[in-house]
Amino acid sequence: MRHQGNPWLTSNLFVLGIGILPALLMIGVLLYFTAWAFAFSFTDLALVGRKSVEWSWVGFDNFERLFTRRGFLESLWTTIYFVFFSAIVGQSLLGFILAASLRGMRGTLRTMIEVSIMLGWLVPDIVAAFLWSATTSDTGLINALIVVPLGFQPVNFINDYALAVVTIANIWKGTAWSYILFSAALDSISRELIEAAKVDGATMWQRVSLVILPIIRPHIATNMLFITIWTFTYFPLIFAMTGGGPGRQTETLAIFLYNQSFSRGNLGFGSAISVAMLLIVGGLSLIYLRMLREPT
Amino acid sequence: MFKRTLCVAGLTGALMAGTAMPASAISIMYADWLASLVEPGIANFEEATGETVDAIKLPGQGYDQRIALDLAAGTAADVVQMDSFMVSELASAGYLAPLDEMASEWDQYQYYQEGLLDVASYDGNVYGLPTDTDVRMLWYDKSNFEKAGIEMPWEPKTWDDVLDAAQKLKDAGVTYAFQLPAGTKQGEAATMQGFYMALLGADTPEDDRNRLLNRETGQWIGNSPALRRTLELYDTVYNEMELTPSDLNYATDIGAAVREAMANDEIGILASGSWEDACLWDCNGVNLPSREERDALVGWTPWPGSGEEGAKETTNISGGWTIGVNANASDQDLAFQLVTAIFDEENFKSWTLANHRMAVRTDISESPEYMEDSYLAAATKLAADTTGRDTVPGYQTVSALVQQATGDVADGAPVDEVLQDYHDALVDEFGEENVITYE
Repeated sequence: MRHQGNPWLTSNLFVLGIGILPALLMIGVLLYFTAWAFAFSFTDLALVGRKSVEWSWVGFDNFERLFTRRGFLESLWTTIYFVFFSAIVGQSLLGFILAASLRGMRGTLRTMIEVSIMLGWLVPDIVAAFLWSATTSDTGLINALIVVPLGFQPVNFINDYALAVVTIANIWKGTAWSYILFSAALDSISRELIEAAKVDGATMWQRVSLVILPIIRPHIATNMLFITIWTFTYFPLIFAMTGGGPGRQTETLAIFLYNQSFSRGNLGFGSAISVAMLLIVGGLSLIYLRMLREPT
Repeated sequence: MFKRTLCVAGLTGALMAGTAMPASAISIMYADWLASLVEPGIANFEEATGETVDAIKLPGQGYDQRIALDLAAGTAADVVQMDSFMVSELASAGYLAPLDEMASEWDQYQYYQEGLLDVASYDGNVYGLPTDTDVRMLWYDKSNFEKAGIEMPWEPKTWDDVLDAAQKLKDAGVTYAFQLPAGTKQGEAATMQGFYMALLGADTPEDDRNRLLNRETGQWIGNSPALRRTLELYDTVYNEMELTPSDLNYATDIGAAVREAMANDEIGILASGSWEDACLWDCNGVNLPSREERDALVGWTPWPGSGEEGAKETTNISGGWTIGVNANASDQDLAFQLVTAIFDEENFKSWTLANHRMAVRTDISESPEYMEDSYLAAATKLAADTTGRDTVPGYQTVSALVQQATGDVADGAPVDEVLQDYHDALVDEFGEENVITYE
């Protein structure tokens, strides 16, 4: 069937033009910034000083430095750890388990759990950073409530286990998204289908792996796509909690990019980092988009 | 149809008009800790001119990066407060307006100290008027020193004396026995309060062997005994003797975390500067304890040298902040008028005295009230043997590399490896010909 547009809109090119203008503008701005970062990744452009106005082309020097100088590969590894454990395993798996467990539940307990999950999502990043820093310091809540009463010496979690702490903080912060998405996906599966699988003798594991997961496969891929992109480029919570430290222990690529571009003032190298990030996230997105395709 | 189209166009126009903000005549960006100087100045300016000022108060953490980015992007305010080390970098990029001509017509300009105006100059022009200068020292918590049995007044002669005291503090249960700033999160503070103070006392001043830059040749020093000894000091403090954990260097709000730790008697020795006489309680001077109360709680001592042959006995380096005018300010004369309102003697003098800041103008420093202040008199003695940063273009980059180096060493990276990374990064930034090594 041929799609019929709004006749008033399609017959009035002036209004159509005005309507489409913001979209064109947005696309133009996105393309401009991408092209800007790509072009300047081949320069020695600086944030301040003479090189901010008299920059020169340096070929592939910045990209070479990604692999020959300390920083990029280390941050890439930290980012992979952070994305895998906080987003893919943490948020996604926890979100799915919570959505499946609470599916049949009604009443106050479910409301309380949902409100708790949502609070993490709703609290601003900076507030969350203060909360987690205060909770995990050597005089924080965990030590005061658990470690010290049990007779152990207080542990400075944020200092001694910084990457684990920011990973857990991000799981707490972002699980709500996966939970909501999986809840909606599970609600879309008819109870008759599950009952039929039960009647056919399918075990619980078989019902999950052979019935539920294939049906919600597009939702899983969509969730993975979003949380991977968000977490890969995530900055505020981790920067506010640790600034990438101690040392470089929590310096994800987003923080490495910030430090190189704005603290060291090397915008050319910073652009090369952003191009590398774009390629990595783009590659991961392609994998997820393939997962989204219906099986032939 | 035409009416409908007109309606849509009208609504679009109304929406666009609605989003436009009423424009202020002039704008200013400043750090929150300077509010007690800037805000009365703004009020006086508004009263005198009838103009409205758009005051943009920003957090101190990350302030340098924000100012640099806004000036580079063309979105900075007409008047900007900036750390003095940034002036040459920003001026060389053409982001700042020279003030010489405008200032020459201002009767109070004559009182500024020449040396401090030099720090805020580039290519023979002044680009910022200094708010204050400072000296650096080791602050100590007297109750912790008493607990650790360390004699007061504390007068360490070498780094070893400092480390011995810190070990006693650690043994007495003080968590941050020697809080030596490190890492990238606190920016310039890590370079100045910790690294450069140690570096200056790590070797002889001859040929600038105790600095980051050979000022005569203009070459950056990529490796030297002084750099090695300084990084080894960080290694000793953070790894070998474990005199402090790193977490204060990476706290969500570092300033607040340090103040809280000091108030809770968790810090033994704090490497910082003269502003702490107020900032340990409140940088804007609100509800400060009396002089006697402060003296009973904390003390300070000059940073000793390393004890190496030929090295200085005590060290000091001074910085300070400035206020300048954006080269893109719509009305530079009006912008400078706001600067003079902030620095008008009455406002400037009362702020300097109330916050125990080191004066940058002779009409204030020679006033009886300033000269009678016992703290300022003692701190000013340190300024007799001080030096400035290497405020040449490129310093910001080098300072960021230094911060990274201290963070890496504090995190356990071998000093040799960190020094090699530092050297290579300098070569990347400035070229082989602009980097030297001292044996």
